This record gives sequence, structure tokens and C-alpha cells, in this order.
Amino acid sequence: MSGTIIIIRGLLGKCFGSFEGVRKFFAFVRSIFVSFRSLRYLRLRSLVAIAVNQTRFTGYDALPIIVVISLILGATVIIQATQNFPKFGIEGFIGNLLVIIIARELGPLATAMVVMSRSGSAIATEIATQKQGREIQSLELMGIDSRLYIVIPRIAASIASILSLIIIFDIVAFFGGYLISLSTVFIPIDIFLQTLLDSMSADDLIITLVKSVVYGTTIPLVCCYYGFMPRSKFEIPIYVSRAVMRTLLILFVVNALISALFYL
Amino acid sequence: MLKLDSNEIRVAAFIVVPLALLLLIVAVKLGYSIEGSTIDVYLKVDSISSIKKGTNVKIKGHTIGRVVEIQPVYKPALHFLATMRIDNTVGLFENCAAVIQNQNIIGDPVIELRNPERPADLLAGGSVIEGIEHVNLEVILQDVHNLLANTNAAIGVFKEIQLQSKGNIRSMMQNLANSVANLNSILANSQRDIVAILSSFRETAKTFTEISAELKKRPMGFIIRGKKDEPGEKKPDEQKPEAKK
Repeated sequence: MSGTIIIIRGLLGKCFGSFEGVRKFFAFVRSIFVSFRSLRYLRLRSLVAIAVNQTRFTGYDALPIIVVISLILGATVIIQATQNFPKFGIEGFIGNLLVIIIARELGPLATAMVVMSRSGSAIATEIATQKQGREIQSLELMGIDSRLYIVIPRIAASIASILSLIIIFDIVAFFGGYLISLSTVFIPIDIFLQTLLDSMSADDLIITLVKSVVYGTTIPLVCCYYGFMPRSKFEIPIYVSRAVMRTLLILFVVNALISALFYL
Repeated sequence: MLKLDSNEIRVAAFIVVPLALLLLIVAVKLGYSIEGSTIDVYLKVDSISSIKKGTNVKIKGHTIGRVVEIQPVYKPALHFLATMRIDNTVGLFENCAAVIQNQNIIGDPVIELRNPERPADLLAGGSVIEGIEHVNLEVILQDVHNLLANTNAAIGVFKEIQLQSKGNIRSMMQNLANSVANLNSILANSQRDIVAILSSFRETAKTFTEISAELKKRPMGFIIRGKKDEPGEKKPDEQKPEAKK
């Protein structure tokens, strides 16, 4: 009996804990919106400099790994499609499959996961370290809103980086995959391009933009939130790990929600 | 003058190049060409069941453009004008035909433009071409359905005939066997009569030979008095008294 009570109490505690966590997260988001009021006290150039640095780290430096991943995924999908679709007599739908799998789902999700694992963890660690080193406190003492100075440039950089990376991912996956698939099957390039263009709709382009904005906002927001959480340097790995896992979960949920919203 | 360091240039290139590519894809998707060598031509169709925005326009299987817009026209009767953005370097004539046809059984329909045999003026932008619906998939399916139904009915009739005629065929075979037996018996019976008939024929031939010989000797006497009595032969009147005696 007492065991059951402990379990129920534990579950309730978890639920309330989660609820409390969500409440604190939204309070954090609200504080970021509030921080825009102190925008006039900051030089735009300093924010742009941070955003540029972040974009370089988040986007430009991630290009090689994105290109490699997109090549491999694109080639895999194209080879599988060209090998198996003719068995069903639906080889004309290869373009549709590529657009559905790579442009709509795989491209944005894989890009967001790469950004999250490279930059998300780095953002959380950086902020947690700055907090423990009292750098954030110093900023506050100098009258600089730490939320505005740290979070907003990272969100802007993340949105720009993810949008560019998704476009590069899709293009490399299509063409690189096409070139690799030439070793097994031959599809004329004009037919391949035509099929791709025919399969792509305005919704696909809009979704790419929407996902870029949503992922670009979610990843730095959640990671910054967990970056501000540690109260001692020993808690840094715990919160960094939590930041990565929670962001991953949120990414999958948001991806499913956006797909349901646009395609259902 | 804005001075950019190498870091900013890299980041700017990283953002601008993909965005430019995205815009290029959007422009191509909207039917624009980089060289600007396209013209807009209208296709007049009665219904838009088979064509849609994005339907390919082809000539001899080669894609030269696509449908970029479809708008209804209410007067004089409801019809639709599909705007085809096509490559103007192809050299289409103004009296060309536009056939709406299916690529295959599951593929999207395409608009196939066909140049006439006699060349005319080149097709100009804003021209209207009458659309001909070449193959309607629904009609094909309906025809196939009807054909299958008819075949099924015919097979049923054949089966019924086969079942009903089984007894008739058996009785016909029986009758045929009886007829053959009768013919056999007739042939067997007639074998004896054939000998008599042949001897009768022989007698008749002998009589004709005698008549012809008599006619040769005394034709008039034979015609008037008949056959001359042989010296050895007795008259029937003379034979009677002897018989009485």
C-alpha cells in the first residue's frame, strides 16, 4: 500500500515538476520578449557581430557535415527508389518520393538535428559556463540585458543558418544523390529535374520556411533556457544533456505537428 | 563604404547563395525562364477535369512548357482558358493542335502540341488554341467495363448452349448410327437384285439388237407388219390343233 502511495506521489511529483518546468520555460520566453524594451540601450553593431559569429559557427562551419549527410541520405533514397519503384511500375513517382522524403521531412529534420547536436549543446554549455564564471552577472551589472544580448542574436543566427542549411541539404541530396545513383541506374538529368520540379509544390517551399523559423527559434530557446539553469558547475553536464534531449523531443513533436497542419 | 571582414563575407555568402537558389527554384516553378524566351499562349477547353496548374506542355514528347494558370470564362458559354507558358524557340505555327492526353495509365495528363503539315505564321504570345481531349481515362475504363460485361454474358450463353445441347447431340448420334445401319441393310438386300437387273439389261440389249437388225433388213415391213416369222416357228393358230389332238 505504502509502495503504491510512493509511486503515485512520484508520478504526481513528475507531472507537477513537468508543469512547473513548462511554466518556467514560458516565463523565460516572456522575459525575452520583455527584454526588447532595452534594445535602445544596445548598439545594433554588437548584436550583429554576435549573430554573425553564431551564424558562422552554427551554419557555415556545419556545411561539411551537412553535405556529407545529405549526400549519403540522398543517394540511399534515390538508389532504393530507382531499384524498387520499377517493380511496382511507379518509376514515374521517384520525384514525388524525393520531394516527400527529402524536401518535406528528412531535410529539415536532419538539418535541425545536426544544428541541435553541434550548436544547441554548445550554446547551453557556453551560457552555463558564462553564468558560473559570473560573466552574465557582469553584463547585468553593466546594465546590459543578458537575455537580449545572448538569446536574440542566437535565435536570429539559428533561423538564418537552418534556412540556408536546409536549402543546401535539399539541393545536395537531390543532385549528389542523383550523381551517386548514376553508378547503378541511369535517369536523364532533364527528366530528373522536370520530375522534381513537377513534384514540388508551393506548400513545400512554405513549409521549408516555416520549419526553418520554428526550428531556428526552438533550438536556441530551449538550449539557452537550460544554459541559464545550472546553479553550480557540477550541474552543467546534467543541464546540457537535458537541453539536448528535450530539444530533440520537441523537434520531433513540432515536425509532426507542422506536417499534420499542412498535409492533413 | 561598408567594410566587411572575411568572417562577415563568408556568412553573407552562406546566407545569400542558398536564398538565391531558393528564389531561382521558385521562379522556375512559376514558369519563368532565365533567358526570358517564353510566351504565354491560351488553351481553350470545355472542362478542366484532365488538366491542372503545372500540367506539362509537350511537343513530340519533349517538354516545352507548362500550364501556369487556369481561369473560367463565363460568356458565351462556360469554358476555361489555361495559360500555357511555353518556349518560343520551338517554332510552333498558329494553326497547331493541342491534344490533351494521358502519358500512361497512371501518369498525369499532358498537353501535346502538334504542328500542322502546312506551315503557317508562327504562334504569337496571347494566341488561343482549341484543346482536344484525346483520351479520357474514365471513358476508357467505362468501355473496358462494358467489354468485360459483354464477354462475360457471351461466355454464359455458350455455357448454357453447351449444357442444353448435350442431350440433343446424343440423340443425333443415335439417329446417325441407325441411318448407317439402315443403309447397310439396303445395300445388302440389293446385292441379289443387282444380278437380276443386270441379266434383264442384257435381255433388253439383245432385243434391241434384234430389232435393229430387222429394221436394217426390211424397214417398211417391220414397221407395218412387225417381226417376220421364222420358217421353223409355228403360228399360235397352228399350234392349237396339235395341242387339241
